[in-house]
Amino acid sequence: MATVELKPSRSNRIYRPSSEPFDGKIVISSPSSISHYGIRLSINGSVNMQVRGGSAGVIESLYGVVKPITIVNKSVEIKSSGKIAPGRMEIPFSVALRQCGEESMERFYETFHGSNISIQYLVTVDILRGYLHKSLSTTMEFIIQSDKAELLNRTVSPEIVIFYITQDTQRHPLLPELRSGGFRVTGKMSTQCCLSDPISGELTVEASAVPIRSIDIHLLRVESILLGEKIVTETSLIQSTQIADGDVCRNMTLPIYVILPRLLTCPTALAGPFSIEFKVTVVINFESKLSKVQSKFDPTTPRLWLAMESLPLELVRTK
Amino acid sequence: MLQVARLLMDTSVLEFYPTIFVLVTEVMDMLGDLVWERIKQKAEFTEDETRVCTLSENFGASDICFDAKETCNNWFCKVGSVRELLPRIYLELAILPCWRFLHDRPEECLQRVVMMTRGLADPLASSYCRLYMVHCARKLPACDTGYLITCINDIKVLLMRTISTTESPYAYLTDNKKLLVSLMEPTIEYLIKCILNDASQRQLGKILVELGIGKTQLELSGSSPCISIILHHLLKELPTEVVVSNSMEIFDVIRYTNDHSFDQCLNYRLLGFKLSESRSQMEIVNAVVDKVIQVVTEYDRLEDYLTVLDAYMDTILQNQMDDYLNSMLEGIVDRACKKKIVEDELASLQSIMVKLISYFRELGDLFSLNHFLEILDVMYGGSRNVVNMHILSMAMRNGYVCDQTIVKLLFEVSRSLHDGMDLANMKDDESQLPSRLIIRFIQLVDYGEEMEQHLNFLVECRGIFGNLSDLKETLVHSSNALVTKALKGGKNRLSFVKSCVAFSEVTVPSISAHIRQLNLYLETAEVALLGGLVSHADGLIASAMSCLQSLQLEDVGSQIHMEIDGILSSIRKLCSLLVVVPGCIPDQGATNILKGVLSIIHSLSWMTPRMKTRIHCSLVLLSAALSQNKLPYHLHHSEVLGNDMLFFGDTSYASELISFSEPILRYLVDAIDQEPLQTNRGSMALEACNCIASSFKINDDLLMVCYKLIDTAKSCLSVNDKFLQSTIKFLDKRLPPPSPIQVN
Amino acid sequence: MVLVLALGDLHVPHRAPDLPAKFKSMLVPGKIQHIICTGNLCIKEVHDYLKTLCPDLHIARGEYDEETRYPETKTLTIGQFKLGLCHGHQVVPWGDLDSLAMLQRQLDVDILVTGHTHQFTAYKHEAGVVINPGSATGAYSSITYDVNPSFVLMDIDGLRVVVYVYELIDGEVKVDKIDFKKSTATTHP
Repeated sequence: MATVELKPSRSNRIYRPSSEPFDGKIVISSPSSISHYGIRLSINGSVNMQVRGGSAGVIESLYGVVKPITIVNKSVEIKSSGKIAPGRMEIPFSVALRQCGEESMERFYETFHGSNISIQYLVTVDILRGYLHKSLSTTMEFIIQSDKAELLNRTVSPEIVIFYITQDTQRHPLLPELRSGGFRVTGKMSTQCCLSDPISGELTVEASAVPIRSIDIHLLRVESILLGEKIVTETSLIQSTQIADGDVCRNMTLPIYVILPRLLTCPTALAGPFSIEFKVTVVINFESKLSKVQSKFDPTTPRLWLAMESLPLELVRTK
Repeated sequence: MLQVARLLMDTSVLEFYPTIFVLVTEVMDMLGDLVWERIKQKAEFTEDETRVCTLSENFGASDICFDAKETCNNWFCKVGSVRELLPRIYLELAILPCWRFLHDRPEECLQRVVMMTRGLADPLASSYCRLYMVHCARKLPACDTGYLITCINDIKVLLMRTISTTESPYAYLTDNKKLLVSLMEPTIEYLIKCILNDASQRQLGKILVELGIGKTQLELSGSSPCISIILHHLLKELPTEVVVSNSMEIFDVIRYTNDHSFDQCLNYRLLGFKLSESRSQMEIVNAVVDKVIQVVTEYDRLEDYLTVLDAYMDTILQNQMDDYLNSMLEGIVDRACKKKIVEDELASLQSIMVKLISYFRELGDLFSLNHFLEILDVMYGGSRNVVNMHILSMAMRNGYVCDQTIVKLLFEVSRSLHDGMDLANMKDDESQLPSRLIIRFIQLVDYGEEMEQHLNFLVECRGIFGNLSDLKETLVHSSNALVTKALKGGKNRLSFVKSCVAFSEVTVPSISAHIRQLNLYLETAEVALLGGLVSHADGLIASAMSCLQSLQLEDVGSQIHMEIDGILSSIRKLCSLLVVVPGCIPDQGATNILKGVLSIIHSLSWMTPRMKTRIHCSLVLLSAALSQNKLPYHLHHSEVLGNDMLFFGDTSYASELISFSEPILRYLVDAIDQEPLQTNRGSMALEACNCIASSFKINDDLLMVCYKLIDTAKSCLSVNDKFLQSTIKFLDKRLPPPSPIQVN
Repeated sequence: MVLVLALGDLHVPHRAPDLPAKFKSMLVPGKIQHIICTGNLCIKEVHDYLKTLCPDLHIARGEYDEETRYPETKTLTIGQFKLGLCHGHQVVPWGDLDSLAMLQRQLDVDILVTGHTHQFTAYKHEAGVVINPGSATGAYSSITYDVNPSFVLMDIDGLRVVVYVYELIDGEVKVDKIDFKKSTATTHP
């Protein structure tokens, strides 16, 4: 039985659209010789959007899939028709993702797999063998990261946000003892962050009458899709990082250090039909009998025993 | 892995935490090593396992290929995705050295982890986490102590908080808090050890300032500069010279550091020990001791008072701070007399007393110290015994104890030691030292010319210490020595000598071992003879013989061979003593005692043929000695005449001796043939032959006996036997010249 | 040249508190190669003190020795000489030359060292030398309380042995020297 495999030149399969070709090898192994009508390599990139519940209503969800946006769709012949000798054979290939001067319809957004939005690049190799034989083919996903050339223009400015969390900054109802006793947590954090770097900042509990149970940094992703006139937004919690466990000492500076999860993040993207954004929520969880009863709850939903502060976060690719 | 690390989040059972910590960190270390090796391999080898490079010890991030860096990055991402703080820190620590693959300054990452650890509010979890941190940080190539100081200061804040929550009105340190602090102690100790490990003198100053120690007094007052337990370990680890040269400053820090994490007294105490460890300037020492005395004077509790002062004893004594010493002893008495002192206090008191005792050279100086005896009096139990023993050992250092007051005091000390000994429940080796010391004291007492008093003292000792083993022997020896001392004095002390001999005579029977009784009867008989008390001596010799008579094999027990040799020697000694004992008891004949010995020997069933032979030889030699016109030695007493004077020219005396000897000779020849062991038989024959040849004028009869014995020896021993050869040679010389007989 | 200290009959503490101070100051560690002791020390402390002077210590058992494991007699070889050691209370009569000669034959030694009489003696007779170092503390003996403290140092050099006697008479240490030569070539292995 003959097999065909794709071996991209990079083990991590990360490529940049303009500056580098997508290259690698096609490996065919077969016990007998194969005649074919040509070997073709197709590259397909698209933004797929899907509305699932979320903030969209029942009716909208009926629409289901929103028409995908094609980013790239090309096919090249690697080899014209002929015969492949038995045994193992390697055929190198190299395809320019974006031809110089070629005006593509869309930007090469970075690969992304969200809950509603998915940006995916696939490469497929087909060995066409006429109607009598089933054609041999295989498909593989590869990953696109922004061009270096493009990145040069962007520098991450150290935009630091200073925040205060007190009983008065909370817009949701709080436990009476929290209201009366009061608390004050201050901190600062960079709101623009390079994907390869951690989110950094610091936080200090200056005062709190009620003991603290935990302080967490929640990383949220906001995916928005333009659906007709409406924007459907889905916010998902992609990572929680505890920075204080228990009633920490007052006036001790705690570092905020959150490594971004590679597969769940991408540069903040604001396109017409869709957008992918991020934000950070600092949540202070106070000791209370209520919280113990309700052990499972969405950590970012306002509760009586929680105090929170949301901060915008722009993720960028550098270098 | 994450599950394992999570185990450490549970601090509900404090006692188990250290065990879990050890288990968890072992697994963490294993993980760390695996990851390190994996990435290192990626950096050094390609996928098909060919080596591309070898990383040197001090490689940099630039030496690492992209793939290896990616793998490393993935690990840190994985760890970073853990939500809970504590397991995330542990996991990062486990792979902390791997930061070297990514950064040239991995210590910056460490600094961040140090800060992250502040987020752990639980004091126990957080201190153990720091323990693991130090452990892991030591795997990094170069690391300054900065992070350690941050750790210590963070722990300080934690502790202050933990302790201060108990400073509300209902607050004492509960057991749990104490336990908590004690569980945190290893981390503190380890951190401080690491900080001070190779800190130079110059760095030390900086470290002290960073730890909040090197402040002026003004800065100190009001604020609590440190936490007792941290201060304690710091003092413990700091080089002695540093502590001593900063002792005034340290005193102030201790004074202002008084919290429940550690007893303040123990820090004063530690300072005291450090001070005594090195010589330092008088002024400094004086100033510190002065301050400390001021502090402890305020103490109400004897225990605290003693705990601190114990440490300053050496300094006070060595620098001859007599005023302090006096006020200190007074302080002890004041506090000790209020109530019965307890176990812990006794231990400190014991330590103080022992230091005092070992400092003074003369007992007199020790006893004349103010309050010394009072303090001794309030002590009891094991500590009292220890102190008593030290006093007695000290008394032993200078030979005879002559001062009567000191004798009296030591007697009381001995009595108290004796009363404190639970002889019934003590093992032999436990009671050995105290009884030895008491006995040694009795041996060394010297009343000088007041010999009657000395004897009275011995009598008193017999009454009070009677149940100590070995005491009786000492008393007999002492009383016998008193006799010779009295005799040496030259004055007529006959009645005193009689008292002493009588004391010995009644004391000997209560000695348990018969062999010792025997020897002491003989010694007493000797001194009785020296004192001219012939009839006493006769009585004592009779007692010795009846003692010998009752000597049973059971008595000698397991050490039978040692003992048998000793008994044999003592019997032979008795024979030698008989040389000087006048055999003048009317109507009983001159050889009466000798016959007595002979009959006892024959009645003892356990006597071996070899022993019997030797004793018979001795008797032969004795009768030969007695038959001489001049005895080989005489008593040092003008009035006791030897047998040579008593029986001079008395033919019946001579014939009595001969008739005594004849059966012995016959017996010897027979007894030797009975000895089953060949080599024994040979040497016995030679001994007998030597004995006969040197005792008698050789006539033909005796010569035949000698030849018979030599033949026996020849048949039993090798021709080359040196004793055999020398005996034959000796016999040749003894032969009367006119009758040459061929000897082969 | 080998220095051998011979001493015995200290009877500490029964008959004397300690060695005379004058003797103690003469006996310093490191000068003496062997100590032979005729017994009656009597306590362990004396044994320990002698050990500090020289670790090679040989002791025969006296009747008042606390330690009962010392042997009745002991022989040892130093250089060309074979030495025998015995306390002497078991010799009948005490200190009798004939009896000592017999013991010497029995032990087959060149030099026999015994004690008990508390009187220093050194005789040469047919086959060797008989030495009694006396009592190192001047303790009273079985027949007299008039005893001068004494001990003996033997300087063994080849076939020659020089015996130095140290005797404390009226507070003064008197030294005497006696020279012995081994007559025959009866060597011992």
